[in-house]
Amino acid sequence: MAKSEPPIGATRRARRTIGAAVAAMALALTACTGGGAPTTTPAAPDPGATATQQPAETRTLVVGATAEPATLDPTATDAAAGTQALLYNVFETLVRIDAEGHLKPLLAQAWDVSEDRLTYTFKLSPNARFSDGTPVTAEAVAANIDRIQNGTTAPKLKKAMSVVAATAVVDPTTIDITLTRPSVTWLFDMAGAAGIVMNPAGFAAANSETAGSGPLTLGRWLPGDSIVLEKNAQYWGTPARFDEVTFRYFKDPNAMNASMLSGQLDIISNLQAPETLAQFSDTSRFTVIEGSTDAEVTLSINNGATPEGVTPGTGNEALKDVRVRKAITMAIDRQALLDTVWFGKGTLIGSMSVPTDVWYEDLTGTHPYNPEEAKRLLAEAGHPQLTLRLQPAALPYASKAAQFVASQLGAVGITAQVEELQFPARWVDTVLQKADYDLSIVAHVEPRDVVTYANPAYYWRYDNPAVQEAVARADAGTVAEYEAEMRTASRLIAEDAAAVWLFALPNLVVTKTGVTGVPENANSSLAFDVTTIAKA
Amino acid sequence: MKRAELWIGLVLVAGVVALALLSFVWTPFNPTGVGSAPRLAPPGWPHVLGTDHMGIDTFSRILVGARSALYVGIIAVGIAALVGVPLGILAAWLPRWGAEGMMRAVDVAYAFPALLLAILLAGVFGASTETAMLAIGIATIPAFIRVTRAGALSVLASDYVLAARASGTPVPVIAVRHVLPNIAHLVGVQASVSFAMAILAEAALSYLGLGTPPTVPSWGRMLGDAQTYLFSHPGQAVWPGLAIAGAVLGFNLVGDGLRDFLDPKLQEVS
Repeated sequence: MAKSEPPIGATRRARRTIGAAVAAMALALTACTGGGAPTTTPAAPDPGATATQQPAETRTLVVGATAEPATLDPTATDAAAGTQALLYNVFETLVRIDAEGHLKPLLAQAWDVSEDRLTYTFKLSPNARFSDGTPVTAEAVAANIDRIQNGTTAPKLKKAMSVVAATAVVDPTTIDITLTRPSVTWLFDMAGAAGIVMNPAGFAAANSETAGSGPLTLGRWLPGDSIVLEKNAQYWGTPARFDEVTFRYFKDPNAMNASMLSGQLDIISNLQAPETLAQFSDTSRFTVIEGSTDAEVTLSINNGATPEGVTPGTGNEALKDVRVRKAITMAIDRQALLDTVWFGKGTLIGSMSVPTDVWYEDLTGTHPYNPEEAKRLLAEAGHPQLTLRLQPAALPYASKAAQFVASQLGAVGITAQVEELQFPARWVDTVLQKADYDLSIVAHVEPRDVVTYANPAYYWRYDNPAVQEAVARADAGTVAEYEAEMRTASRLIAEDAAAVWLFALPNLVVTKTGVTGVPENANSSLAFDVTTIAKA
Repeated sequence: MKRAELWIGLVLVAGVVALALLSFVWTPFNPTGVGSAPRLAPPGWPHVLGTDHMGIDTFSRILVGARSALYVGIIAVGIAALVGVPLGILAAWLPRWGAEGMMRAVDVAYAFPALLLAILLAGVFGASTETAMLAIGIATIPAFIRVTRAGALSVLASDYVLAARASGTPVPVIAVRHVLPNIAHLVGVQASVSFAMAILAEAALSYLGLGTPPTVPSWGRMLGDAQTYLFSHPGQAVWPGLAIAGAVLGFNLVGDGLRDFLDPKLQEVS
């Protein structure tokens, strides 16, 4: 800033100092790289280099991911991160969910349900072995169920397993599991983290070592960087196609994209920013897979029910009127919103169900975009002008969607006052727990979460006995009845405009050309299953 | 040379004020109208600076964004000055032990970063322009207290103040009649520098989603939105970036220029 004579001298001195500092920093940097190199090289394996050096010996797969697990025990936390890398790859369950959302045998060759649908009999595969070679027995299954129920495991899993009344070991490969009430949901839960069958010998060290029965075992875990899974040479089923599978974790989506572009990754497990897809448009190098996820981006409406025993929420009274809720749905051009907010990637849904739900039906036409009809309904309901609070979670997709929704609601006479809520803490406190909101936006990632509309205390504050009965009948019925009743529940909430389901987030997977067999959809098991993947 | 600095600063500041004033009477397009134009259009005609990811005209948003920047700056600096200046004079007036205690408290407050305070307030009261202004304002108070006290101490030691005190003039009158006019230039410089910091802080908070709500155009939020398009549409980040840089540079240059212009000692050197 100073321009006169003495300060110039000062500037020169400053320049010399800066020069010295830069030189020192450069030295320091070199020192860091020099010192760090021997340890970081094996931590970040270069698949290309390894492949050329030992083409016949080491087959590797490197997967880029964003959410790093805090523990190697997927049953210890509600977070899906551990499940993503480890379920089906390292840990196996009695039954599994395939890419279409159907239940398939895994450790159990077959299963039977008793006439009253209270007792499930699982017949284990006699060849199944844990990675230390001990057989997977009915005792081990019983011990795992007991561990979920009584050990230090995640509350969500405990809740899922709470319907189990008793386990009975019939013989080493047969187990009877008796429930307190018929529940189809339980069987689906058994295909996720709750149903993991760990080696009982490894329970004590479950958070640092893996003791599964899957085609891969834990090689190295470098917190903050990666998890390396190695081939389980003893695997009882079809052996893994890779000697090493690495999950590399990135905090910044741009860094993950850059790694993919420079050839360090074989797969991006879920691209976080759809607008960056254009970087992978070179089809000779990359393949882009657009599948679906279980995450419904929902414009939630405070329906204003006041169930007994629950502190009433604070919502605009007008939203109790189904005509107002329908008008809000009709005011929003969801296709345009998807195009604007998420680059047209994703699926339009008309209810709280996604295409991978077995009962899914296309309900997007239930209340189609029609601003004129929306205005008419608002006038009929006596609210030609309405002011509502719109409190999205402060997440990129939610705040973009809020901006779009506010603009479109404005066109039919609804003034939306947008206030972002920090996510998760503040959003959970204000919206989820206190139901102190009119409209909010967040993605619901839980599988089968249409059942939340059967709970009038949930933050939708939606109380419809028909939906509650359908969900209860679904859980108690056969698999076929389950599908029919869940479909009914989905349709009822859609007709009632209990919320506006904006779209389902896409599962955007980018692979190097030559990598095949990547599951297209992120299904409700939340696992990133590498067992089907092959690399040319 | 010093004059040139001041003039460049004044031109930049006047430019920002002009943009903000213009936005009240005219914007080329609706600055909040989603989907009215193609998305991510390059600069051209009729969208001189192109459109953003929502299909909103970027130039219109820059115009209205100037309003947010100035609004936050004025209120935040206003809070800081209204609280900080009287407290600074008080600190100069207090007996030694009182002043020491107060200044140590100010040191503690000074150590607390403005952004952290803003995140805290946004967590408690919710993210809004008002919380951002309040947080930036509170965090700037210690700077005003220090500057004011330093100036007031020398004024209070002067003979005419001693004379006024001896003749029984009440303290508040001395503060208003003698102290304030003589430290006005110090406060002015501090206000100008703080203004630049407030604009930067508002941009940072909006970038983080803790400031201005999404429906209100703000330079920081524009920059945050542009980040995801940095590789595909790098031009998106340029305009709000230039606007923030220009405004901050302008207020800083005005601050520097004013200091040099008003401080007789520095004038002698040049």
